[in-house]
Amino acid sequence: MTRSFLFSASIGDSALADPAYAAQILPLAEAAGVDLLMLGRHDSLPYDPQVIAAWAAPRLSRMGVVPVVSSRIAHPFHVARSLSAIDYLSGGLLGWCPVAQGGSAAQLADLVRATRALWDGWDEDCLIIDKESGRYLDTTRIRPSNYVGTHYKVRGPVNAMRPKQGHPLLICDAASPFAVPGVDVVIAAEGQAFPAAARRLLRLEGEPDVASLTARFEAGEMDGVHIDLANPRAQLPALGEAFAALTRGRPAGGTLRERLGLPLAKSIAQEEIA
Amino acid sequence: MSRSPNAPTMHLWAFLQGIGHYPSGWRHAGADPAGVFTMDYYARVGRLVEKGRFDAIVFGDQLQSRGVRGRTPEHLAMPTLDPMALLSAISSVTSHVGLVNTLSTTYWSPEGLAERFATMDRISGGRAGWNIVTTAHPETAPNFGEDDLPEKSLRYKMAAQTVTEAQAIWRERNAELGTSPQARPVFVQAGQSADGRDFAASIAEAIFCSAPTMEEGIAFRNDMRARVAAAGRDPDAVKIMPGLSFILAETEAAAIAKDQAILDLADETLCIEYLSESLNCDLTQFDVNAPIPIDAIVAQTSLPKADIARALEKPAAIGLSLGKFAAGYVRTPRGHNVFRGTAPQLANMMIQWVEAGACDGFTLQPAYMPGELEIFVEEVVPILQAAGALRTDYPGSTLRESMGLPRWPADMAA
Repeated sequence: MTRSFLFSASIGDSALADPAYAAQILPLAEAAGVDLLMLGRHDSLPYDPQVIAAWAAPRLSRMGVVPVVSSRIAHPFHVARSLSAIDYLSGGLLGWCPVAQGGSAAQLADLVRATRALWDGWDEDCLIIDKESGRYLDTTRIRPSNYVGTHYKVRGPVNAMRPKQGHPLLICDAASPFAVPGVDVVIAAEGQAFPAAARRLLRLEGEPDVASLTARFEAGEMDGVHIDLANPRAQLPALGEAFAALTRGRPAGGTLRERLGLPLAKSIAQEEIA
Repeated sequence: MSRSPNAPTMHLWAFLQGIGHYPSGWRHAGADPAGVFTMDYYARVGRLVEKGRFDAIVFGDQLQSRGVRGRTPEHLAMPTLDPMALLSAISSVTSHVGLVNTLSTTYWSPEGLAERFATMDRISGGRAGWNIVTTAHPETAPNFGEDDLPEKSLRYKMAAQTVTEAQAIWRERNAELGTSPQARPVFVQAGQSADGRDFAASIAEAIFCSAPTMEEGIAFRNDMRARVAAAGRDPDAVKIMPGLSFILAETEAAAIAKDQAILDLADETLCIEYLSESLNCDLTQFDVNAPIPIDAIVAQTSLPKADIARALEKPAAIGLSLGKFAAGYVRTPRGHNVFRGTAPQLANMMIQWVEAGACDGFTLQPAYMPGELEIFVEEVVPILQAAGALRTDYPGSTLRESMGLPRWPADMAA
């Protein structure tokens, strides 16, 4: 399979909570070929990104949405529930980017592990829903997580279904790093070390030098770019044009994991259960 | 349909947790149990409720999965998805209906919930409501790293404190970012105990309650209005919205038969599992044909033991077996009024209740979803509208406007 160039962008402006504005931005981002629209930033959360992600869910056709989740106010039980629901409502187009907002990286990693443990309390094929026999669930496929970490202790099972994608895509911003296995996408600036992840995105500043980026992508130095948008309405169409050659002809349809070729690693799921 | 010309019009809410009010409702032919994991289902329900000119959709919520002592039930429809996500997604595909999210003051921080509702209010254009609950289920505590719930009166103190802190955060955020369309979510409360009623009287703008009969509705509404006035607030600015479940058919006899058919879908396993959840005791270990094992149940439950003993006293005294008691228990889920009859009969009853001062409207709990709600919107809504008892269009776009509340909450003034 040929490699796909990945295009990620973030919006940290409070205006995104205005429905008229958000309703304009989402189609602009889709049209520009954005794969991951990050809602909020590690240093800017002027709204609750999970609410915006849920609102955006019925408006997405192929683009993934990535709410930034701050361990300053999040609890794994609440996070596991809300992201499970948004993943279903969006048809499996959800990612998440946990950030510490001044808290410790250890707590952030623990939040990720606890949340995954809750999701893993439900197997993907646990629903029976047979009206005839009256059996709704295969209860052998549901278990308490009994998670005890460095910061969180969460019993479960969570009253939420295992997300449609198993786990939503896990994105790590190197500006707020955390150490857990199985990170799907990492974002790092020029000169900053890439934490381990399946895909590596270069955080761009200023005007993109497309020729140089194309060469670096083809050389396997990185898998795409991330841009923190300052003026999304103006920037998105221009960026879409600039990256057109790189984003043309990529696969469409399916969940975010399917489209980006990032299946949930079985070893991660097993490790979290053990 | 006779109706006094000056009688107030009624408010309608849709309470849509799960796949319907009846535990066996998911097995009905008109139920869509797989739909609750898809956006299409919520888009359909949102449009339906808006067509019926409802004020709001309410989702109840818990912070624990069903499953007494680790035994997850097999015949009950679950889990339920996070209501914040469902309501925010519904707000994206509707324009008027309000969105009342249940959120616990026991296991949410003021910062987290204030941010959540502020964003819901902005992105929905002023349609957010908060059903303010304290968590009463003991199995919730271990999901938040604790062994036990805080004691009940402490939970209500925490609730009042959390609301006060959230109000301060909203005032600050409104000053910083511009006032959100309603300044804050509409406050909804559902406490039935004395603690709960006083808390509701101090802050609630709508109260969800159970009123099995019109007389009980009148008594509750009078009591609440007196408490609201005693708290120095205007009783007309607090809407009393009792639950109302319903089974509709062409004739009363057909409705009773339809009701029975749904109840018949509650097989023995379902009945025992449902009662197990309510008593917080795994009843699958007992003989269904033997008398109710009160002592064992009271010993094992982690709910308040005196309450459980009291609830079991009467059925045990009349010699009901455990199986018979469980089969009867699913017939009146959560103690709400269940109407069985025709659409004109239901419309008539609703108009009578409002005229008698038993309520300001109803929190409708369809027996199964979405089929029974569709019947209500197609058949009962037009009768209510023709009688002038229900609006034919929305008065504005915010939940406060739909509910006939003052445009701005007084507590949000800078």
